[in-house]
Amino acid sequence: MLIFFLQFIKNNNKFAHNLKKAISSFITRMNTTTKNIFKLALVAIIICFAASLISKSVDIQHFNIENYSAEKPLFGADEYKYEAAKEVPANDAVASRIKWSLLLFVILLVLVLANAFDISALTSKITGRQTINSNNVNKWMMLIFLVVGLSAVAWEYVEHGKLILYGNASSEHGAIYDSMFNITVIITTIVFVITQILLFYFPFKYAKKEGRKALYYAHNNRLEVFWTIIPAIVLTLLVLRGHQTWRSIVYADMDGSKSTNIEIFAFQFGWNARYAGEDGKLGVCDYKFISGKNKLGLAYEPEVDSLLVELKAAIVADSLSIKNLPTTLDNLKADFKVAKDYQNDEACESISKEIEEITCGDRLDELHASINRKSKQVERIIAIKKNPKVYANFFTKTEEDDIITQELHLVKDKLVTFKFRSRDIIHSAWLPHFRVQMNVVPGMPTRFTFMPTKTTREAKNENGESFDYYLYCNKICGTSHYNMKMKVIVESQQEVDAWLKTQQPAFKPMAATPVIPAVDIKDSISIIGKDSAKKKLALK
Amino acid sequence: MSTETLTATHTHHDEHAHHEHHESFIRKYVFSMDHKMISKQFLITGIIMGCLGMIMSLLFRMQLAWPEESFGFLETLLGRWAKGGKIDPNYYMALVTIHGTIMVFYVLTAGLSGTFSNLLIPLQCGSRDMASPFLNMLSYWFFFTSSIVLLSSFFAETGPASSGWTVYPPLSALQKAMPGSGLGTTLWLVAIILFIVSALLGGINYIVTVLNMRTKGMSMNRLPLTIWAFLLTACLGLLSFPVLLGAGLFLIFDRSFGTSFYLSDIYLNGIGALTNSGGSPVMYQHLFWFLGHPEVYIIILPAFGITSEVIATNARKPIFGYSAMVISLLSIAVLSFLVWGHHMFITGMNPFLGTLFMYVTLIIAVPSAVKTFNYLATLWKGNIRFTPAMLFAIGLVSFFISGGLTGIYLGNAALDIQMHDSYFVVAHFHLVMGSAAIFGMFSGIYHWFPKMFGKMMNNTLGSIHFWMTFASAYMVFFPMHFMGLAGVPRRYYQFSLIPEFGIWVNVNIFITVSALMGGTAQLLFLYNFFYSIFKGKPATENPWGSNTIEWSTTVKHVHGNWHGPTPTVYRGPHEYSRPDRELDYFPQHEPGNGEPVHYEAPETEVQKSYSTDSHDKPSKVFFSSFAHLFQLRKA
Repeated sequence: MLIFFLQFIKNNNKFAHNLKKAISSFITRMNTTTKNIFKLALVAIIICFAASLISKSVDIQHFNIENYSAEKPLFGADEYKYEAAKEVPANDAVASRIKWSLLLFVILLVLVLANAFDISALTSKITGRQTINSNNVNKWMMLIFLVVGLSAVAWEYVEHGKLILYGNASSEHGAIYDSMFNITVIITTIVFVITQILLFYFPFKYAKKEGRKALYYAHNNRLEVFWTIIPAIVLTLLVLRGHQTWRSIVYADMDGSKSTNIEIFAFQFGWNARYAGEDGKLGVCDYKFISGKNKLGLAYEPEVDSLLVELKAAIVADSLSIKNLPTTLDNLKADFKVAKDYQNDEACESISKEIEEITCGDRLDELHASINRKSKQVERIIAIKKNPKVYANFFTKTEEDDIITQELHLVKDKLVTFKFRSRDIIHSAWLPHFRVQMNVVPGMPTRFTFMPTKTTREAKNENGESFDYYLYCNKICGTSHYNMKMKVIVESQQEVDAWLKTQQPAFKPMAATPVIPAVDIKDSISIIGKDSAKKKLALK
Repeated sequence: MSTETLTATHTHHDEHAHHEHHESFIRKYVFSMDHKMISKQFLITGIIMGCLGMIMSLLFRMQLAWPEESFGFLETLLGRWAKGGKIDPNYYMALVTIHGTIMVFYVLTAGLSGTFSNLLIPLQCGSRDMASPFLNMLSYWFFFTSSIVLLSSFFAETGPASSGWTVYPPLSALQKAMPGSGLGTTLWLVAIILFIVSALLGGINYIVTVLNMRTKGMSMNRLPLTIWAFLLTACLGLLSFPVLLGAGLFLIFDRSFGTSFYLSDIYLNGIGALTNSGGSPVMYQHLFWFLGHPEVYIIILPAFGITSEVIATNARKPIFGYSAMVISLLSIAVLSFLVWGHHMFITGMNPFLGTLFMYVTLIIAVPSAVKTFNYLATLWKGNIRFTPAMLFAIGLVSFFISGGLTGIYLGNAALDIQMHDSYFVVAHFHLVMGSAAIFGMFSGIYHWFPKMFGKMMNNTLGSIHFWMTFASAYMVFFPMHFMGLAGVPRRYYQFSLIPEFGIWVNVNIFITVSALMGGTAQLLFLYNFFYSIFKGKPATENPWGSNTIEWSTTVKHVHGNWHGPTPTVYRGPHEYSRPDRELDYFPQHEPGNGEPVHYEAPETEVQKSYSTDSHDKPSKVFFSSFAHLFQLRKA
């Protein structure tokens, strides 16, 4: 709008001339006092206008004051619709009117400011004097920013400081952790406030004045040594303290003799916990043993045997589908024709995609890779089973009574060691209330030992009934990363024991291995060895 | 435009000065080998990439603030990635990833260091051009190609890379782990490899030029701090980028050729157990962060250099402790190679390594503190002129303090257990590296715009741009600290599924609105920038009254930078407000009248009062000098 206005002025010389004349005479006639009054009046008009807009839009009768009580600040109040709006829908409308009038107010303010700048630019052009000394404006802005900024920071410390977790850790090391945190907060806040005050105060104080010259002061070695040594000393203290804290956390119960072991198993996108059963030992696991029934890959021999059978059958199925690729292609082409006749665009698209997959060789490659993967897996499992030493390490018979759960139950005041294992990619197990976090890396076991000190009940009493401990995933792991969590419950020993009794052990002794006609792998490999399918495809 | 002229003698050059070089449009503006044109190319590409990165951040901020609402225009804009006006979780991840990549590499590495190293190294060192103009041109075009490849991943059917800007395998290595790990990640890796080539070509050129092509009298201790910063940045890049190149190549092998550098013991949903064994995903993290941490300093050091020059020029004071500044830059550069492990405290790395990395990390805080205090001392008793460049430089120092202090939390291995990958980290690095470096870049643009384009930018618009950006950056990032401390994890698509995070709904909206405000402020900058290129007020030769020699040449760019011989340098770059001179600046190239090599100003009354007397106890000196900073004692 402003640009149009300026363009207009440019194009109409006569108009511009008159305007300039009018403005310059206006400005010259005004002394500073009247100018200030004019400014104040302008601001007052804007405020009155905005206030009237707001007061009109706020319908007092519908304004339910309870929803805007002290714990829910007025600021952005409309966004409480998750809780409040459902009960009192009228508030939503009121709030949206507030929002709109505020927006209008801001637009108005911007327009007025732009006009003011424009006028001042014009007048300075005409009169040849600077009406606004931008250096002075910026100087005062420095001070305003310092004051407003520091008070905003103080407000945040008070208001949001209430919401942070520190100070009421639910674990033993959490208390040490929190004291380390507090020390750091105190030191950094002091440094923050002092340096920021100096940083904004100096520009305010030493803003440019005509005729003044800056102090030529290039260095002072002693001063520099001082402000090298002081941070060094403070940081040394922090490092030593941090070192102590870190060691006490990560080296707790390294041999695992004092704590209960629980395995935390991560996969896309969820968690499992595995408790040792009655024998008190966690069974051996391996990713090669994972199957539909054995999601954690426990080394439970009957299940592993049936996996072997399944794999061999899958290899045969894959090689058969390689053999049948040309037929599949023909069928798809026929389907495509039918779909086209019926003008079913969606079906057409999906079928043509499949046809493309086959003709460009992707499907064939995929099937080859799948056979390769499976035969390798079979080979590796057989290798484990054939070597008596390795076999003894894997199949220890301790896994049958292991208990796999969707929830994590911990005992209060008892050391627990998490053994982390990931099935696919890196996850990170974060239990913020216990100050516990450790990455879960495929192919690399990790651990964390700690002692919960507050039961869920106690935490609920402090934080409200809806409170629960959770274990979150805190390493980006794919589509549903944001919803990968496990409930954590801290209870007494008796309660945990009782809960464990209600859970099923991983495997009950099975009756017999289901017999599926076994085919030797060599046969299946010989089928795919000949590139007959590929050649056929190439001919088509 | 040929290399012969660059190596030509002065007399030869004088002959050339009479007639202009006639170059075709393509030679002059596209495949240019002139460092000034290349720096403009870097800058404008960087600005465009920066705008794209910013728009991406606004999009995902909107998702975080209003997760339940649907925005019709998103569907128009993004098509199937925002069905029903709601961004798809996979696309959210892609936006986060590409935003990070663009900002870290394309804007703050190439856009900042590429622009100002190219512009200032020859001009401030007094050389006619870069050591190898051809490599310089290649460097830009590799960068450009790389940008195109990266952006083209938005048109891949499975979407762009979406495993975070760190692209940790196995997520990025397994094509079936998430849609973005398909073609998108391949393009990402190719783009990064092209980018590394560009960075290496540029870096080696910068180093050679600074070391070999300085003009007469420009000894290393007379170099402006910008050049010191660019030199060290180039060294960092040259030593650390090849490691990322290796890491990226291994990742390409793992993805496409079936190797197992980073993969072991994996069972993937819908595929089964993979054959890979023996690799380690943590190895990638070591390799990545061996670049990744120096990269942080590759970003911030040029910004420091620019700030140092801008603050000294506009405070009309010599930078306080020139040699301390250089030493702290050097020690930051050296230490930056020894601290990468602080990104990996909780990856399951040996806890003993954690303690070592914690020590070294917190040591870095010392040179950083020295730099901050030196900036403060430079402002003290200056005669400060608030050009937009100066405002942004002060903003940088403020961000560096705020973000640097939270680094003390994160560098502490014990505290990192809880804060790792939380919003606290997001707040920390956006302040100390993101905002601070982008402010350094703005500062540089406002300061050297007259040199680049021969026009002035509008100062009033610049000031408004600064205050809006400054306030909104704090409003965006400061509350995030508290979110992180309350246990909110980063890279979550929405928080409404977890009841405990409900209390942050308001804050999320506040942050997004502030971000939108910050985004709007950038429109002012863009308008100011492009309008001034064409219609700005013509610049004078030395508009800021600066000492460095880039202002000694004509406003109109000449091939070879100076008509006639290159200037001779007689003193350091910071001789502002010398008591023995009427003018408050003393250009480096202006011959003095038999002045001593190291000029020491006669002590003023103020200085005398706390100058170090050998009888004084150190503590007394210390407190008296601070008393002066606060003016407690009368001079």
